[in-house]
Amino acid sequence: MSVRALWIISHEKGEHLSLRFARRFATVEHRAKILAGSSYTAVPEDNTVLQLLLTELGLSDPDKPFVALRDDCLYRQRSPALELRVDSPGKGMLWPVLAISHGPITLACLPLVDAPAEPRPALASLLSVSQGLTLLAGLQTFLLGSGSKPDIEVLASRLAMLPSVLLQVCPLGTPLDVPLPGAPSTPTVPTPAENQKQPAWKTGLHRGRAAVNVALIETVRSMQYGNRSRQDLWDVYGTVTCKCEVEGVLPNVMVTLTLPPNGSPLQDILVHPCVTSLDSSILTASSVDNFDGSAFSGPYKFPFSPPLEPFRLCSYTSQVPVPPILGSYQLKEEETQLRVSVTLKLHESVKNSFEYCEAHLPFFNRDQFGVVDVKVSSGQLDVSKEKNLLVWGLGQKFPKSREVTMEGKISFSGPTPGPTDPLCTELTAYIKLYFKVPDMTLSGCSVDQHSVQVYSSSKQRIITSRELQSKEYFIWNSTGSAPVSSGQMML
Amino acid sequence: MSDIWTQRILSFSRSPSRFLSGTTAEGFLAELLRELRDDRATYSLKVLLLSPLCESPSLLCLSDLLGEETALELMSVFNQCPPKSVQFRCHLLLALTSVLVCTSCVNNRSRASQDFLDLLLQISQDSNDLHGDVALRATACDCLREMEACSPGLLSQRLELLDGLRQRETSRLHQAYAGLHTLVLRNAVYQLTQETGAGAEHLKALLGGNTSVAWEAELDLMNSKDDSAVLSSLIRGPMGSVPTLQTGPDCKELRAVLSSLLEESYLLTPLSQAALLHRLTEVVAMVPGVSPAVFRAQLLRLLGTSEVCLFHSILLMKSAFTDSLFSAEDEAFLLQRLVVLSQHPLLSPPEKLFYIDCILSFPENRPIGCGDDALPVLLTPRLASVLVPTVFNDSATLLARLHLLCLVYLEEEDEGEEEGRGLGYLYDHLTSLLQIVDNGGSREIVVTFFRAAFLFLSYFFPVECFSHSLMEELCSLYLRHTHLAPHFINLADHIQEQLSESNWATEFLKALQGAITDAELTSKDLSWHLKMLARVAEEGEIKQQSTVNFLSHIITSSSLCVKGDWRLGNFLLWVCRRLLVHPGLDVLLIPLADVLQHLACRYGDTDIRDHARLYYTLLTTLSKDKLARVLSQGYGEGGGQAKKLTFSCIVAESEGLTSLLTVHQAKTIILKLVEEPQTETGSGLNQNEDNPEEASVALEQYRAQFDVPGFASEIPLNYQLTHSESADSCFDQLFSIRLHFSLTDDHYEPLGDVSVPCVFRERPPPSVKLRLKPRRPQPTSLHASAIFTTQDGLSWLTDLPDVHVAFRQTFLPLPAPETWGRGSRLSLFDGLWDEMSREEPTGGATSLFCCQLQEEALKTLVEKHFLPYLVSDQSDKEEIKVLFFLPPQSHLLMRIRSEETVHFNVATDNWQLLPHINSYLLTLTSSQEDTHT
Repeated sequence: MSVRALWIISHEKGEHLSLRFARRFATVEHRAKILAGSSYTAVPEDNTVLQLLLTELGLSDPDKPFVALRDDCLYRQRSPALELRVDSPGKGMLWPVLAISHGPITLACLPLVDAPAEPRPALASLLSVSQGLTLLAGLQTFLLGSGSKPDIEVLASRLAMLPSVLLQVCPLGTPLDVPLPGAPSTPTVPTPAENQKQPAWKTGLHRGRAAVNVALIETVRSMQYGNRSRQDLWDVYGTVTCKCEVEGVLPNVMVTLTLPPNGSPLQDILVHPCVTSLDSSILTASSVDNFDGSAFSGPYKFPFSPPLEPFRLCSYTSQVPVPPILGSYQLKEEETQLRVSVTLKLHESVKNSFEYCEAHLPFFNRDQFGVVDVKVSSGQLDVSKEKNLLVWGLGQKFPKSREVTMEGKISFSGPTPGPTDPLCTELTAYIKLYFKVPDMTLSGCSVDQHSVQVYSSSKQRIITSRELQSKEYFIWNSTGSAPVSSGQMML
Repeated sequence: MSDIWTQRILSFSRSPSRFLSGTTAEGFLAELLRELRDDRATYSLKVLLLSPLCESPSLLCLSDLLGEETALELMSVFNQCPPKSVQFRCHLLLALTSVLVCTSCVNNRSRASQDFLDLLLQISQDSNDLHGDVALRATACDCLREMEACSPGLLSQRLELLDGLRQRETSRLHQAYAGLHTLVLRNAVYQLTQETGAGAEHLKALLGGNTSVAWEAELDLMNSKDDSAVLSSLIRGPMGSVPTLQTGPDCKELRAVLSSLLEESYLLTPLSQAALLHRLTEVVAMVPGVSPAVFRAQLLRLLGTSEVCLFHSILLMKSAFTDSLFSAEDEAFLLQRLVVLSQHPLLSPPEKLFYIDCILSFPENRPIGCGDDALPVLLTPRLASVLVPTVFNDSATLLARLHLLCLVYLEEEDEGEEEGRGLGYLYDHLTSLLQIVDNGGSREIVVTFFRAAFLFLSYFFPVECFSHSLMEELCSLYLRHTHLAPHFINLADHIQEQLSESNWATEFLKALQGAITDAELTSKDLSWHLKMLARVAEEGEIKQQSTVNFLSHIITSSSLCVKGDWRLGNFLLWVCRRLLVHPGLDVLLIPLADVLQHLACRYGDTDIRDHARLYYTLLTTLSKDKLARVLSQGYGEGGGQAKKLTFSCIVAESEGLTSLLTVHQAKTIILKLVEEPQTETGSGLNQNEDNPEEASVALEQYRAQFDVPGFASEIPLNYQLTHSESADSCFDQLFSIRLHFSLTDDHYEPLGDVSVPCVFRERPPPSVKLRLKPRRPQPTSLHASAIFTTQDGLSWLTDLPDVHVAFRQTFLPLPAPETWGRGSRLSLFDGLWDEMSREEPTGGATSLFCCQLQEEALKTLVEKHFLPYLVSDQSDKEEIKVLFFLPPQSHLLMRIRSEETVHFNVATDNWQLLPHINSYLLTLTSSQEDTHT
């Protein structure tokens, strides 16, 4: 339940490798030595570890097309637990090295194997593995934030704080907590002498007016093929994020999710550890199970005691009968040009009020656009600067008919070849939709402002919101062969 | 100053070994400690200075004693440190813990470690927090926990104290106490299970803190028993057995402690909560008196958790308690959850991969099989279908899913269910990956595809329709992307290695050979084709005619030879090289020889021509077996299938071959020639009396013999060829020795080489007969050297010690006609003597040598040295006549008379011999004198 060593490296596709932080835990190493006995492999010096790690991650020697150690086809379970073959002086394996990467930063640690080394224990029997993953993920969030693009300066300042952060969360190799994301750890407010124990995950106490903010975001993904032999796919998942400012050491709050009558049940519910109890019926519905009509369909009550920082209270998936936007995309190759025909229909159940809605039509493995002679029934069409992408801005609203079309021809005669993609060759092409609809969910799930209960003496301000957004929303050209995106539709 | 230290600490942590090679561990440690005491150094620097002690204490404290001293130093630094520098004080505690644990001071209960333990306990109980920070207390608790973890049982006596501290604490610090308390509890219970006769009473006493002195001693003994067992997790799935403590149903004290800990578990961070649950699971597993149901209240809260470590602790609990805590329904639910989590859009890829791994080793209530990769019974193909791989997955996920699904459909196959659509899907998936590779996918996709192909084949190679069509797809992929050859070879190698029962790899290589030799040739593919064909040629079962035809075609019909590219030439030779050792070489002999000859004559690069010529010579002169032996050496050395293919390897290979075919120079003297012991032959002359001829007639007859060319012109010298004392044992058996001699002067005709079949150290040495043909009768030395072969096939050149030919060795007995008897010889002697004594300028000379010798001694001397050359009768005591013939045509005559002194009257027809005979006689007589005085 401890880690022997921790490394943080940065690199650019295997080059410009630099070790940003390293920590070895001598006492855990001492235990590792006793536990492994004769099969003990010491952790080599950092440079060696890094090289081995890059090889195992497939990042070493980026200019060489084939390196036997790196590209061997023999299947070993690699991620999340890598195996580093230490050459000298004591030959052996370092296992299980956990590594997670985000952009240019890779974090790795070596959990202690607290079981006999031979035969190799199952990964699932080592608690230190899941703890190591949690620690790495926590450190990653601390260093890079949850945003998509890591900020180099923030990263550097956070790295400088790491020694004092580790003193709190993992002083001797046994992870106790993950660092609080973003903000530097604030000194704790001394607690008034009370009988109630303060949760270890709560760094201080809130003073002042109570405020609870509950945001429900549903995300819809889709793969539409416009092809009878292939079923279109879409799925929806939702997350409920809370920010609670409530007084007291262990205040009680309850958030209730409700579905409209005949709404399909929420499935695969996952909850934050601060949820105090769960009704077993809430957990029964599962997306991988046969759909059971008699399943529980709410209300879904989540009693919890909130931490100070914003957190994800729960998440769910849902099966909705139709996709919000149904599209059809047809391409025809005509001698020197490509005939394009697109139809997008907004389903009637969806509120016709977007924050934004855009359709992107990329064209790969071709020259740049020559002549673009395309008309749209609504919205505005732009050609990207690189001349290989059509951006169709649909604005805030679909027309009354709830249907928009695009027709036209494109010739490819630009001076330079456009981007390549091994997947989208010839007529294998897609439209990707980006949209966000405020104040609605596809599943119909909602958090009523009045259903949020805060058991506190003072008056509270409660804000709830919901929205629908798209992610990986693809409409494939029906005249080309689209890649299979899920086995379920084949089986 | 601070910058220098920062740099030094940095370079220490980057590479301790390099850093310490520039200084000594003791020296560096002393410097660190001195600087830590220095008041001028800032505390942030001092924190940095502690890091080598925290991270690598055993590199700095080379002995336990040094560890003890260092710890005492650090403790005094701690005591003198102002309370407000909390960070530094915390790091000091960490450094102390590291030093004491890693130098075994804690295990030996040394004085410093006892003092430190007291210090930690004191800090952890100091709830006043006068100095405003709980950080020090938290650190002290973690140090205690780590010391207990490294030295289980250390705090067993303090259980009650720790329980009290934990219960009273209301700040966040209760987590630190809870972690410490549960670990100590777990270790204490473990120790009791190892105690024979321990039971409920002992447990109660332990929890109550009133342990008797009697078993305090026992506990200490226990401590040294088996360190690794007590450190190991006790939850090891169906195969693990847990030591138990028989308490009967009455252990309410333990139950109280457990429920108090569990009730507050909600207040802990997920990481600490998971550790606590795991430790308590171990405790309950060891004490059958407590029902696992104590955990039930926590389960519901945890089953829905999004935290990977919390869900993991539930799985571990299930592994420990199976159906005593989890019903069949729970089991189905957990598995379903795992499947959901394995592909949940909100989880990170490593977490999902971990969950897939958990499915593979799902702790079933009633496991059927318990091998690796035994899937849970409840994992139906339908349930698993959400995990089928797609081209949108990242590589690791794709492969992990493919692996899982292979196992699922393998079971389906076994159960003979409908010829799986699932398997068909997996195959389709593989071909769509292949498409992406075909369309120029990135290196990562290529590697992933080949791993997927290997995985698929390793499970489904017997399903012919798939394995066969995959082979075809791969062949055509290769022709379009020849630069992927190393991947194809790697795949073939691994399939061959892992699936010895299948001949897929051979078939595949054969198909590739067909594809290559039939294909339209482009020059950019050629090097890859050659690499591939070289691999194909390794297969004894694959006929190689088409490969040879291909080679012959490309070298004759293209400008390849004219261009003379060295690399391509090497690839060509590489293929030829493999063909040379192919078992079907007999059929290939002539066309291959043609190819090699063509290369040797026409190729535009000298190096390639030379090598081709060498191969050609080897092919045409060596037998097949010998050829295989010669070429198989240095082949496969240094392992790695793939390595064989790298370019440098061709060079290395040719170096290996060179070493086999060139002659090595031995560093020491291995062989020597030793003079063979003389076998006494007597004078060997015809003892019959005959009619003595007139001296002049005898002379004439005698001289006539020399008209025959080469008559009596050689001196035979007999030697034995033996090992020199210093020769290495690898030279014990030598074969085909060829001795070569060179002259140091021009007194002799050059000598021919001498061959010896073998010299074995344990056998009698073979004799070597040298025939020296003198131009002038002079002593000489010969330089000698030998070339030979050792058992491993290497050839060596060694110098032998010089062979010295002494004056006496140049003598021959009188080469008189065979019919002559003693009389004629005496006549000849007299005739010669007269001629030499004449004072004419013929070059003749006489001389007198005198010495003191007893009669007996003289007799021995004659018998020993002059017998073969004796002309007079042996019984003739008055005058002994001796004649040495020295080829080519010199004579030395002696009349020896014994008077007061012995007179050696010497006459010769070559005055230049006089100094030699003089020294010869001197040596002889002096040695004779020696023996007689």
